[in-house]
Amino acid sequence: MRRKNVNYSKYGYIFTFPFVLAFLIFSLYPILYTAVIGFTDMKGIIPKPIHILDNPFQNFKDLLFDNPSFRKSLINTGLLWITNFVPQMLLALLLTAWFTNKRLNIKGQGLFKVLLYMPNIITASTIAVLFSTLFAYPMGPINSLFQMLGWTDAPVFFLQDKTTARGIVAFIQFWMWYGNTMIVLIAGVMGINPALFESASIDGANGFQTFFRITLPSLRTILLFTLITSMVGGLTMFDIPQLFLAGGPDDSTLTTSMFIYGQAFKGSYMYNRAAAASMIMFLISAVLAGILFYVMRDRDASRLKKIQKQKYRKAAIAAREGGVTHGK
Amino acid sequence: MKSMKRSLVGISTLLVMSSALAACGGNSNSNSSSATSTTAPAANATEAPAKGTGEKVTINLWSFTDEIPNMTKKYMETHPDANVEFKTTVIATTDGAYQPALDQALSAGGKDAPDIFAAESAFVLKYTQGDASSYAANYSDLGLDDQMVKDAGIAQYSVDIGSLDGKLKALGYQATGGAFIYRRSIAKDVFGTDDPATIKNEIGPGWDKFYDAAAKLKAKGYGIVSGDGDIWHPIENSSDKGWIVDGKLHIDPKREEFLDLSKKLKDNGYHNDTTDWTEAWYADMSGSGAQPIFGFFGPAWLINYVMNGQVKDTNGDWAVSEPPTGFFWGGTWLLANKDVTKDDAKKQAVADFVKWVTLDTSETGLQYYWANGTMKEGEQGTKDSVASSVVMSKSNGEVPLLGGQNMFDVFVPANANASGKNLTQYDETINKLWRDQVREYTAGNKDRAKAIETFKQQVKDQLGIESE
Repeated sequence: MRRKNVNYSKYGYIFTFPFVLAFLIFSLYPILYTAVIGFTDMKGIIPKPIHILDNPFQNFKDLLFDNPSFRKSLINTGLLWITNFVPQMLLALLLTAWFTNKRLNIKGQGLFKVLLYMPNIITASTIAVLFSTLFAYPMGPINSLFQMLGWTDAPVFFLQDKTTARGIVAFIQFWMWYGNTMIVLIAGVMGINPALFESASIDGANGFQTFFRITLPSLRTILLFTLITSMVGGLTMFDIPQLFLAGGPDDSTLTTSMFIYGQAFKGSYMYNRAAAASMIMFLISAVLAGILFYVMRDRDASRLKKIQKQKYRKAAIAAREGGVTHGK
Repeated sequence: MKSMKRSLVGISTLLVMSSALAACGGNSNSNSSSATSTTAPAANATEAPAKGTGEKVTINLWSFTDEIPNMTKKYMETHPDANVEFKTTVIATTDGAYQPALDQALSAGGKDAPDIFAAESAFVLKYTQGDASSYAANYSDLGLDDQMVKDAGIAQYSVDIGSLDGKLKALGYQATGGAFIYRRSIAKDVFGTDDPATIKNEIGPGWDKFYDAAAKLKAKGYGIVSGDGDIWHPIENSSDKGWIVDGKLHIDPKREEFLDLSKKLKDNGYHNDTTDWTEAWYADMSGSGAQPIFGFFGPAWLINYVMNGQVKDTNGDWAVSEPPTGFFWGGTWLLANKDVTKDDAKKQAVADFVKWVTLDTSETGLQYYWANGTMKEGEQGTKDSVASSVVMSKSNGEVPLLGGQNMFDVFVPANANASGKNLTQYDETINKLWRDQVREYTAGNKDRAKAIETFKQQVKDQLGIESE
């Protein structure tokens, strides 16, 4: 047992220990507690002894089958996420391709990256106020602009229109987060072996080919990361819709997080239903994440594994049959 | 050993991963955990020079503005021999931070529990009649009886809101009975006079007369109010019943009529279609909106704290008259913790302060200072309508913004006409849902029946309250 080199791994555990402790107390315990109270009758501001309901799944059933608002908030959340995520991803990929292209060699990259990331630094409340002021009715900058240009005669009540309201919320999300996605993707591209790009350019690949045949496939794990984090983020969207229009008009920007918050803190104190709704969201996130992992799996690797398995099986069968013939 | 290490690595990466997911994620995540910066409770003690013997009594005071803490300072100045010190905790109501903190402190109890706490109209019922009313002491247990309330001429609505089954638990110092605040120049142009007594009969009583006046104003190119929110407060507060009757959602006919009244305003162009508390609404106060606006519905605080900074060129061109229907809007109530009655010295100290704020009608009582704007020695502060009509009748309420009119002449009857029997602890949420649906209806996105149906559905889904 001679030590050749020092084992540093234990320091890793020591360093992660504070986080693990904080996680156990401040995240894991509340998560488990939430899971439990979803099955109880915990309601009201004054704490009362709580009991498991006669039908433990009553809260879940009420929410899923007897609560149009919750269903509506689910649809809103999905819609807002899709409409902001697709353009966000496309733009981020495009910018990544440009910034990491050795041939273009864009000047002032650092400045651009900072500028594109900027919207993410502004607090959500500021942005919400900014946009509600911009689209104010009957007097506001956008309305004045439209009337000056002669596009409208009377002031338009932008924020009373469901599509416009949703569109603005999706746009804000897109505008705030595409820079962040871009930075992550650029970091991912930096991690790709440069030899690949070199050999591609020697073989005469053009920019498109390089991007689609080398960059994208090598980015798969990073893409998976951005997809998952964005999905979780999208499902828990709260601050912009809450601060911008408080869920209006007609609940068209009510997200599930806002619905959950309302269940617990808007006067009825239905902690149990809020917890049940949270658990439903947890399950939805888990299922979607599972689907994403499956879709983004390494197909070549899994095919290799399959072939390997078949080989083993064949070998085993052959060995058995061989054994049988021997045993004759 | 190796496998154990591997599993450890596995577990810790799992933890890291899951926390990254559980905590704020990346893209398009609107980082809901971005902790809203709550104003940290600022605890500071106002000391009085110790007089007499015995321990100083410490009173924990919870409030959401610095109004009441400033009163404690004045109390100390005027009562040098009071053997108390105040520990004040101020938490703003923004982001809904005040109530949860107060609820926690009340249920925790002990020596740091709030002895005196303030509640505003949006949630006062929770503490006087609703879920948290068991924490509040009865005024009678503090030695403040109903006769004192009568003698001070406290507005009935304020007593109604502060009472549970006839037992008084909270009173305010400010009265928020509403009036109609109108432009003198427009009144002269349309009605030939700006005299409040005449205008009162032009715009009311009742909504029919109000709309007749609106038509007359429109003929001359004026709007009667700025937006439909302006008529909502008087409608809401003059209804016979509140939103909840026997635990079920009840839409009072007068509140249902708001749909039609609001539509009428919009279809005829009687208003500028603004939403209250937006830039366009403020613009109408200075007369710089789409069409000049005749008036606003509001209590004294709207004049003092909102219009005051917005009127600009129209300063002095305003007057108040009694509204077409009595109402109140807003206000702050003072409650005492029921535990203070357990300790005689503390009970006495709390009772003295509460009495000085809410029931003292003398010229050294808080309300006299408040009504006359003499809270600070030697400078003219804001004059405000107060709970006691006795105090108002001997105070001077002449305000330059109103062209020197004595507003108390109008606010004494306005406070008396307000009703406090139609509120519930859910009002804030339900009103928002209701007004959203009314706006959907007036914008033409929905018909009337559909708007009501959606409203009922939303109340059921979001508050768990069934409809009748």
